Amino acid sequence: MTRLSPQNLLLRGYVVLVFVFVFTPIITSFVFSVNSDRFPTIPLGHFTTHWYETIFSDPDIWEAFQVSALVSVSVAILATFIGFCTAYTDYRYNFTGKALYLSLALLPPTIPLVIMGLAMLALLARINMSGQIHSIVVSHVVLCAPFAMAVVRMRLAQINPDLEPAAWNLGASPWRAMREVIIPFCRPAIASAFCLTAAVSFDEFAVAWFVSGLNKTVPVVILEILQGNTDPQINAIGSIVFAISMSLVVIAQLIFFRKTSAPTTTGI
Amino acid sequence: MPIVIWQLVFFVFPLIFLVVISFWLVKNYRMVPGLDTVNWTKMYSKGYFWDTYWRTLAYAMIATITTTILAFPCSFALAFKVSATLRRWALFFLIVPFFTSYLVRIYSWQIFLNDNGIFNRMFDYIGLGPFHLLNNFFGTLVGYLTLCLPLAVVLQLISLANVDRNLIEAAHNLGCGRLKTVFLVIVPLAKIGIILGAAFTFILSFGDFVSPYYLGGSKPPTLSILIIDTTKSGQQWPRAAVVAVTMIITLLTIMFASVSAAYRKKP
Amino acid sequence: MPDTSEARPLVSFEGVTKHYGTVAAVHAMDLDIFAGEFLALMGPSGCGKTTSLRMLAGLEEPTEGEIRLDGRRINEIDSADRDTPMVWQSLALFPFLNVRQNVEFGLKMRKIPPRDRQQRAMNWLDRLEIADLAERDINQLSGGQRQRVALARSLVTEPRILLLDEPLSALDANLVVKMQGVLSRLQKELGITFVYVTHSQSEAFAMSDRVVIMSQGRIEQIGSPKTIYRNPTSRFVADFVGSNNIFSGTVSKEGATLEVNTPVGCFSCSPDSDEQTFSMGSTLNMVVSADLVQISLTTPETANQVRCRFISEEFVGSIVTVFAELENGADFKVQVRQRDLADLGLKAGAVFYASWKATDVHLISESA
Repeated sequence: MTRLSPQNLLLRGYVVLVFVFVFTPIITSFVFSVNSDRFPTIPLGHFTTHWYETIFSDPDIWEAFQVSALVSVSVAILATFIGFCTAYTDYRYNFTGKALYLSLALLPPTIPLVIMGLAMLALLARINMSGQIHSIVVSHVVLCAPFAMAVVRMRLAQINPDLEPAAWNLGASPWRAMREVIIPFCRPAIASAFCLTAAVSFDEFAVAWFVSGLNKTVPVVILEILQGNTDPQINAIGSIVFAISMSLVVIAQLIFFRKTSAPTTTGI
Repeated sequence: MPIVIWQLVFFVFPLIFLVVISFWLVKNYRMVPGLDTVNWTKMYSKGYFWDTYWRTLAYAMIATITTTILAFPCSFALAFKVSATLRRWALFFLIVPFFTSYLVRIYSWQIFLNDNGIFNRMFDYIGLGPFHLLNNFFGTLVGYLTLCLPLAVVLQLISLANVDRNLIEAAHNLGCGRLKTVFLVIVPLAKIGIILGAAFTFILSFGDFVSPYYLGGSKPPTLSILIIDTTKSGQQWPRAAVVAVTMIITLLTIMFASVSAAYRKKP
Repeated sequence: MPDTSEARPLVSFEGVTKHYGTVAAVHAMDLDIFAGEFLALMGPSGCGKTTSLRMLAGLEEPTEGEIRLDGRRINEIDSADRDTPMVWQSLALFPFLNVRQNVEFGLKMRKIPPRDRQQRAMNWLDRLEIADLAERDINQLSGGQRQRVALARSLVTEPRILLLDEPLSALDANLVVKMQGVLSRLQKELGITFVYVTHSQSEAFAMSDRVVIMSQGRIEQIGSPKTIYRNPTSRFVADFVGSNNIFSGTVSKEGATLEVNTPVGCFSCSPDSDEQTFSMGSTLNMVVSADLVQISLTTPETANQVRCRFISEEFVGSIVTVFAELENGADFKVQVRQRDLADLGLKAGAVFYASWKATDVHLISESA
């Protein structure tokens, strides 16, 4: 179907180039995290785990990882919940102003994070909520919920529209039907959204930087180190961060696409 | 559902609050509520503000055009020249970096672009350079590409993959050459993905501070850097708010214009 | 077939209207459904049959009028609280539950304890001959097997009335016939009421005691399949059901045997009963069923005859439908046995004669 003509080869080569561009920074981080030189460049030094040891013995960094973990998990739970409710409302109901409601719900990713950070900081400071872990959580939930909503909504688009009424018809109240039909059906999407929102929250630095005060998440710590001099510890931290968020995103995608490729509507 | 109201409150309210505080004053490092346009007049009268504004706009435009053009051959190839399975895997792997630490990736680029970095060492090896790839617009551009390229490719790809193959064959059948078909038939059909990809690239690069800060040398500043400086060092939140609101207005206008352009039906 | 003349109906629709915006999907419908009968709601797309079924199930609310179950108004009662299980066109089996769990669902909603649920579910699976599939994933089942699961799921709560929304529409032709037998038998064994929506005449006629023909939100005719087939009371029904040739004409001679003037000739016909009277000059529709027409190559002796030009034939098995054209260009259909047709050896464009008895004509007044 696709011939090995020169233009096709060129195009495919181009794709490879793009992927190299996208993944080089990530791979570099992994490579230099185990490189002995203080100033990363070629030729490489020898293999060492020195940098990992350094960061693992730093209490500030441990604390940052704990904060990050706490924040990501809390955000994941809340954002997935809100995203699910929003998606279900969109699926089930039609009401005036729905278009406006939806655009507001999906707007957060389009506002630059710097501005969101400033806005949240200003507001939370005014009501004395700034600088706490829950301030980061609140800000992140706003940011991440649209992603959860999109994932769940995609799954709901696959459902046989008769399933919910069938449950009612067989004696289920609307709440029961939600519990027995909608949620089981959406399970892969919910799990996927959970992982995805955790990843987004885990990586998010701009808003966290503005809002976190003394409770720093890992990206905030990275930002602060970056503001100093080149520090090879960044590579080690970075590699760990990459490993965590990439795993979360990979898992999210695998869950979603494996579990939702089986036939989902029956009868026809 | 009432729970969703929280979402809207915590999102819309802070932004409205931002507009509000742009009218407040700062006395003794504390914000005092008021209705004073002094922040606005002060900001807008400063030369450096407008310089920064147009500069940021220009940067974002260049980033958008560059990204869109660079993304297109890739998304085209993935839509038409590879098998469906390969395409799905490509999509899978493109989505991954989008959700991983942008900060660390930018830092990694420093390693490459530095005067003593990998690229210059390689150039040195073959007797070229050294090239100044860091602390200038080139560095910033590399950063923007890192941020936006995957997203642009994904959005273009989704639109391109949905182009009706029959239409392409019909064009060929009517004598349209391959390259011409791309521009006359395929691009118009995939308009939505291309425009949305460009719109998001613009938004992301317009608002980003990491690339200009760490790869661009942070001077001259972009609007986002201006906000940070004003907030972190100056504690002039109302002034920062003015910058922020101006940015939002610009972005909403661009967003609105692109969505209308994308979904407009030809008369 | 239950006696529908004296008994109080199980379900009644009284003046039920359903509006969607300005469009009336169902208009002032009055219908009585009796316990133990197999009732079909039949009509073309958009006639309101599915809407009526959904209103009975509680999935839509009537804009006007009342629906009564056992004499009690149920308009406001939630679907979950009526006992009107439905077999869906898409079957709507829950993909994340296995066969047995699907069947148990209704019992679970009624808080029946697990062991009882399981037993009752297995009984029904047994009855429908799919007990060995109990633990299977429903995605692994064939169309016919899924049908049976859907049936079991609806019947497990032992309702008095079962609603079916074109359940056989997605099956292969041979499975349809088989399932029709299953449904018929089941209904007779259980003695409960089945309300069956379909657009297929063969399904409706094969299984039901009474058929309701609907068009554009209104009921056109209610009756047994045979009555509707032989005695349509309106032009719509005559067109929709069976294979009929319809001529409109004016009465040129009154009496026990009428003479009717139509564009293709003057025909004699006798009204069906003494109640049907047509005065001189009134317009009516003459309905001649295609299976009551004889064809011959020579001029027949019967008074009612027309000259036809053979166009084509449609072979459906032992019966063939012959399509012909009359002298004025109107269409004409005849159904004959394949053997008889072969004897005649007709080719395209050939001329033949069609004739029928005066007593075989059915008359409908023009206003109907």
